[in-house]
Amino acid sequence: MREVAGYLPGLDPDSVAWRTLAFGRGGTDLEVAVPELTPAQVAALAERVRAHARSVLKTMPVAEVVTAVDAAVARLLDRDDPWRRRAERLLPLVTGYDAEMVRHGLTSYLKTFRKPELLRFLAEDFANPGVLDDFQPVPKGGFARAFGPDLLLHVWAGNVPGLPLWSLVCGLLVKAGGVGKVPSAEPLFAGWFARLLAEVEPRLAGCLAVVWWKGGDAEREAEWLRRADTVLAYGSTASLEALRARVPVTTRFLPYGHKISFALVSHAALDPHTVRATARGVAHDVARWDQQGCYSPHVVYVERGGGVDPRGFARHLAHELACQAIRFPRRALDPGDAGGVAAWRHAEEMQGVADPARELLADPAGAWAVAYADRPQPLAPCGLNRTVTVVAVDRLDDALPCVAPFRPLLQTAAVAAPPRELFRIAGLLGAAGVTRVCAPGAMAAPEAGWHHDGRFNLSDLVAMAEIDRGAELAADALAPYRD
Amino acid sequence: MTHAQIVEELLAFLALDDADEAAFGTMALRLFAYQFEHNAAYRRVAMQRGRTPRTVRSWQAIPAVPIAAFKELTLSCRPPEEAERVFMTSGTTRAGVRGACYHPTMAVWERSMTRTFRHRFMGGDARLPMAILFPDAAAMPNSSLAHYLAVAVREFGAADSRHLVDGSGLDVDGLVTMLETAAAAGRPLALLGASFSFVHAMDALAERGCRVALPEGSRILDTGGFKGQSRTMEADAFYDRLSATFGVPRRRCINMYGMTELSSQFYDDGNESCPSVKSGPHWVRTRVIDPLSGAEMPVGTPGVLVHHDLAHFNNVSAILTEDAGVAVAGGFLLLGRADGAEAKGCSMAVAEFLAAAQG
Repeated sequence: MREVAGYLPGLDPDSVAWRTLAFGRGGTDLEVAVPELTPAQVAALAERVRAHARSVLKTMPVAEVVTAVDAAVARLLDRDDPWRRRAERLLPLVTGYDAEMVRHGLTSYLKTFRKPELLRFLAEDFANPGVLDDFQPVPKGGFARAFGPDLLLHVWAGNVPGLPLWSLVCGLLVKAGGVGKVPSAEPLFAGWFARLLAEVEPRLAGCLAVVWWKGGDAEREAEWLRRADTVLAYGSTASLEALRARVPVTTRFLPYGHKISFALVSHAALDPHTVRATARGVAHDVARWDQQGCYSPHVVYVERGGGVDPRGFARHLAHELACQAIRFPRRALDPGDAGGVAAWRHAEEMQGVADPARELLADPAGAWAVAYADRPQPLAPCGLNRTVTVVAVDRLDDALPCVAPFRPLLQTAAVAAPPRELFRIAGLLGAAGVTRVCAPGAMAAPEAGWHHDGRFNLSDLVAMAEIDRGAELAADALAPYRD
Repeated sequence: MTHAQIVEELLAFLALDDADEAAFGTMALRLFAYQFEHNAAYRRVAMQRGRTPRTVRSWQAIPAVPIAAFKELTLSCRPPEEAERVFMTSGTTRAGVRGACYHPTMAVWERSMTRTFRHRFMGGDARLPMAILFPDAAAMPNSSLAHYLAVAVREFGAADSRHLVDGSGLDVDGLVTMLETAAAAGRPLALLGASFSFVHAMDALAERGCRVALPEGSRILDTGGFKGQSRTMEADAFYDRLSATFGVPRRRCINMYGMTELSSQFYDDGNESCPSVKSGPHWVRTRVIDPLSGAEMPVGTPGVLVHHDLAHFNNVSAILTEDAGVAVAGGFLLLGRADGAEAKGCSMAVAEFLAAAQG
């Protein structure tokens, strides 16, 4: 099977050099052709997107952009639509994720980009989204209008299906011309979305491009970096650092680095009626995308004093992970991933032998593992791919010193606690650097409009152009109808 | 079975010409029973896995201890304080934490080393002048490699053998002198050391424009890889350059694969092509397994190496490594480390987390 990645409006595909990336699982091979553009092609594409963004996108009311995205997303939510069927067929081959998990995950994620949710994105960042269309009065006096960049470069990373959609849609909502670089690990989805969007709203056809270059190809990257007004990039600390060093200082750079997430379980969530639901939620969070998301939990801090003790919770969690392994089997691991899991498991197993306060509960076939520690442990990544540590704490507050040293790396905390405790703990977590508190089971499904890593999805992208109150008054003095 | 008895039995076993499957299995099971009885930490590991001398019927079923265990547990049949030598692991995987291997006697370790070294490296030569690109054992008393090289010099080195690395680095003048002397005299020279030391040596010689053609019969032994101590080189490039710098053909460039957590070493028969086939002596057997399920991988399918080294009698003979490899006819191919994953998504893997948390 062969699939062409990317979206290159205005470029003749025959004039483009294509490189083949090989994927395939379970005996089905998939070749994905990714474009390798020449500097001249980069220049032409950048100019085209920039020009179309100016002449088309920026003249469309934001409501029409919302309608177009909503229509494209509706197609992707329709399981009979050819694009959706293609995604369900090919994304498991590309990423290795279980097909059912891809199907569930896509639907859950795409729901974040329907019209009501898109309006929520707008409302989150703009008290009056009309500022994206025209000058609007502002409280201090005068008027303001928000302008997105003409050329927004997205550098996407990782293999979590659909991930690029978040920033791609945010760019569209602020009417930015968008060029996205797809990662080699999942090069397809973004290009499909761009083509589908052009299908449902032909006016947008020239306003987006989806490209590829090999990670580390500084020369090709530089061609894009010097043409972009704003660069929004995902990736590891090292790759973002390297990228930042090459972005011109006048270009806005918005980095989204790798993050670590965790869960807190109050004793109130551990009575015999609630413990199963809590464990099931956490197991779902661990299993989803095989723990590859920034929102995936690595450690669960469990409070003593409930009907089930923390060690008992670890057993419940192990059981639920075993159920997940049947419902959504983990993808086949390459030797490096398997080695990472094995190294973590072996270290935990040996600590269990050395120290009665530690224990490892693990699937003999290797599909999942739960480590247990009977006293507070600093936050630390597990071996990924459905490995998690349960740490007993006397009070949830005791988890704070465990996570606080890692402030710049923290993202989501799932909290299972009664209302008053939820808000109290959320205050402490926020102060420690956590940017999202959610319920167990929802870690992998951020709500529409969530401030990704604590930042503003839309207002970080725009520049405000303001008309001073004084300018208005001065203009009055020049009006033909002045007294 | 006492310590003295097991040492005596092992020395006799090492002295055999070869050992078939049955003979190896019998000795391995006797040794497992000995270690199970005398090594309390190993007994706990084995019992946790439901393996005891009563249930284990084949050497393949002897529970292998992951190398991480040496960082957590004291794995010794004799009291550690009685050890004649203690070898420490490098502690690269978890900052600051080093594992220890205790040797109550070096007799078995040294018999294992010398017998295999003579056969796999010395060929027909009794002694050769040796240039050692590694600090001596006095400088690194807990390094198994320093001891290995000390034994090599003591048992197989000519009187003019020298260590060329100390606290101040590589003695380039000394190396050049040894190379020129050997070339002028037409007398074969053996160069032995850490792989990264060879990179430093080749860089230093290149800086001086120094290339030699060592006499026929000269040979090189490198070991241990680059470990972040020098730039990393692809195996082919490394052996090409060794060959070009010293005039030693690639078939006489031997790579030794050893571990602190073992008492025997593996060798290839030269590196004419890479990766080369590694094999050990008759008292060591290697299996390739799936690191998660423990299932044995078919010949030709990559997995992780498990070594059963009967000479490692005081600690644990069955060691589960973090080295990827594949079984082939005549031994195995070493494919590199299999200890780390990178996040495929936007989550964090251990290495990146440590780097970010420290940075």
